[in-house]
Amino acid sequence: MKKFLLYILGIFLLTVLVSVILDGLYTYIFMQSRNRGKVETVFNSTAKKYDVVILGSSRANNHFVSQMFEEKGFKTFNYGMSGGHLFEASLILKLMIERKYEIRNVILEADLNLSNDQESEGVATKFLPYIHWSETIKNHFSTEENFNELYYIPFYRYVKFDSKIGFREIYKIVSKEKTNALDNLGYYPLEKHKNGNMKNNIVNLNPLPYNKYYEEIKSACKKNNINFIAVMTPMCENVAGMNYFDKVKKAYPEIHNYENVVTDNKYFSSCGHMTDEGAKIFTARILKDFFTNINIP
Amino acid sequence: MFFNSLAFAVFLPLVFFLYWFVFNKTKNTQNALLIIASYYFYSCWDWRFLFLLVFSTFLDYYTGIRIEKSTNEKWRKFWFWLSVSVNLGFLGIFKYYNFFSESFAQMLTTVGFKASPILLNVVLPVGISFYTFHGLSYVIDIYFKRIKAEYNFVDYSLFVSYFPLLVAGPIERATHLLPEVKVKRTFNFQQAKEGICQIVWGLVKKVVIADTCATYANAIFDNYASMNSFSLILGGVYFAFQIYGDFSGYSDMALGMSKLFGLELLRNFNYPYFSRDIAEFWRRWHISLSSWFRDYLYIPLGGSKGGLWMKIRNTFIIFIVSGFWHGANWTYIVWGFINALYFLPLLLSNSNRNNMDSITLKWNFDSVRVLFSILTTFLLTCVAWVFFRAKTITDAVLYLKKIFTNGEFSAQYLDNERYNYELLLMIGLFVLVEWNNKTRVEPISGKRSMLKMALAIMAIIAFGTYSDYKEFIYFQF
Repeated sequence: MKKFLLYILGIFLLTVLVSVILDGLYTYIFMQSRNRGKVETVFNSTAKKYDVVILGSSRANNHFVSQMFEEKGFKTFNYGMSGGHLFEASLILKLMIERKYEIRNVILEADLNLSNDQESEGVATKFLPYIHWSETIKNHFSTEENFNELYYIPFYRYVKFDSKIGFREIYKIVSKEKTNALDNLGYYPLEKHKNGNMKNNIVNLNPLPYNKYYEEIKSACKKNNINFIAVMTPMCENVAGMNYFDKVKKAYPEIHNYENVVTDNKYFSSCGHMTDEGAKIFTARILKDFFTNINIP
Repeated sequence: MFFNSLAFAVFLPLVFFLYWFVFNKTKNTQNALLIIASYYFYSCWDWRFLFLLVFSTFLDYYTGIRIEKSTNEKWRKFWFWLSVSVNLGFLGIFKYYNFFSESFAQMLTTVGFKASPILLNVVLPVGISFYTFHGLSYVIDIYFKRIKAEYNFVDYSLFVSYFPLLVAGPIERATHLLPEVKVKRTFNFQQAKEGICQIVWGLVKKVVIADTCATYANAIFDNYASMNSFSLILGGVYFAFQIYGDFSGYSDMALGMSKLFGLELLRNFNYPYFSRDIAEFWRRWHISLSSWFRDYLYIPLGGSKGGLWMKIRNTFIIFIVSGFWHGANWTYIVWGFINALYFLPLLLSNSNRNNMDSITLKWNFDSVRVLFSILTTFLLTCVAWVFFRAKTITDAVLYLKKIFTNGEFSAQYLDNERYNYELLLMIGLFVLVEWNNKTRVEPISGKRSMLKMALAIMAIIAFGTYSDYKEFIYFQF
């Protein structure tokens, strides 16, 4: 029996060793990733200068046309992440500040995402390879329920989220396979969909009276002298009369309501996402309202 | 609690520790612990069905004794048929009632009567097909005086409810397992080490092969209407490896963990996809079920005695019943029927026992013939699997039809956000490993065992599918 227990101990140690080696290897590969997504790009970057940085969910990613800002002379990148919540928007801003980015303006899409302060698993996972290499990421995740497993068990995060950061992603990084996440300066244009879902019931949706990550973004901007612009972006005709945006305005008076700048369904790919055409109308209005009297440095 | 869950990773070492360090005094204490552990294991699914399991166990235990003690043939028959009918009754109610009710109503509707079936809102108790067959084989063997009745209820309960085989087999025989549980087990290092290797290899099959194949097979089968010929062919192949990895992986884990407790279970798989004909396939696939049907259905029906027509009739009966055993759906029946059809030419040419020897390949023409036979048998099996996997017979027929009518053999991007061909390399590697170890139970033990163990562990943690977790397919049967 003693021999068997030693054998089991050997297998256990072997498992730990294999996990540690794989963890090191995967993390090393993620540290080399440059062109796969916004998180990797920011993490592996050094100081950059931006006039405008756009943050938020897909409703930022698909709504702010970076090129239009550039045409006006503002160096811009859209860091909106499809499926992301404010948890990830706050973390990516913290990483930029950690890397000493010089940012003059942050535009934050803050509307539907104010209703929760949870992480979005699909997007938050992208930060996990770097958890041992950034105090910022470690601290940001430290309040999450499974932090101990993610941080202390070698390779656990790669196993748990294998579809996002598993060996297929590793293979793609190694083979330098590009994604379109960084194209168009981070903006992702949508087309009109014949079968796009034009219904979105937000009657019962309520913004949190205090959204931790929204406040984090706001205070990070204040601390680093970044002009903070929070906006609600348009939704389709179907949500007219559902007073979610009024509720947001009441709880967060500083957020600018652009719900009704574009309402016609023809400008929407789905109820919460405008087409490229709609995004251009919306971006033009943002430029007019916030960037007409700003001097280009 | 699944074999590949974290809860089981705590449960198994705990039972192992108690078994060898606390309850190791006598075989009674060992058996008592295993029974408690088995009942706890079973109640993790649904504690209410534990009563059904205990009742079924007690029924077979009691009727077994009554059959043996009865001096009157009438009473022997009475106790025998009581046990058989109650066992099959449970199976009938829980597993087949709704199917028969719906099919009957449908039949009446086709002939012009209006009928709405009365359906039962019951969940199928996990493992019912397996423990019912344990009990049945025991009672049948006593009735035909092949074995003596077991008078120790704990020993008998362990034979029926032993947790590694309780929910998905292998289907044990009283002649094999009962003698093992009747003696005190002593720890054997070599046996336990082999057990660990088999568990690890079973895990590789489940999480690396089966669960990964499942994501592709599901993406193809669930959207077969929009798939091209190449994807549909691959879908069949992926499902073939999914079900093989899933079920044989489970069996390997069951056999492996039994070795940890000093018990040897019946081997359930013997590299079935290397079979040279369909008869050989059925000697290598789900061996405990095939041999059960052979011994308790085919032979009592007359087996191969009584002329050609009798042989054909009996063959079709066991294949169709075997299909129906898997589930209450016409697709399983057709799957069984197709396998019977495959078997027919071998039966007619009296060549169903041709390939009894082991497979060896050399650089000669005969080896090309062997390889061709293996490939043909595999393809035939894949065609049959389409019926097993499809939701309806119509779906299966349309699936197969589209393979031949679509004619496109290009790469296709699937719903699981991967290309259809991406898994072929992994499957090829798996086949190669199995081929090189086809004379052994698993490939890890033996020379350079620790290196192979490290590779297996690496495969499990790096290449396993975890985010899209799949239950063991055979749990539903």
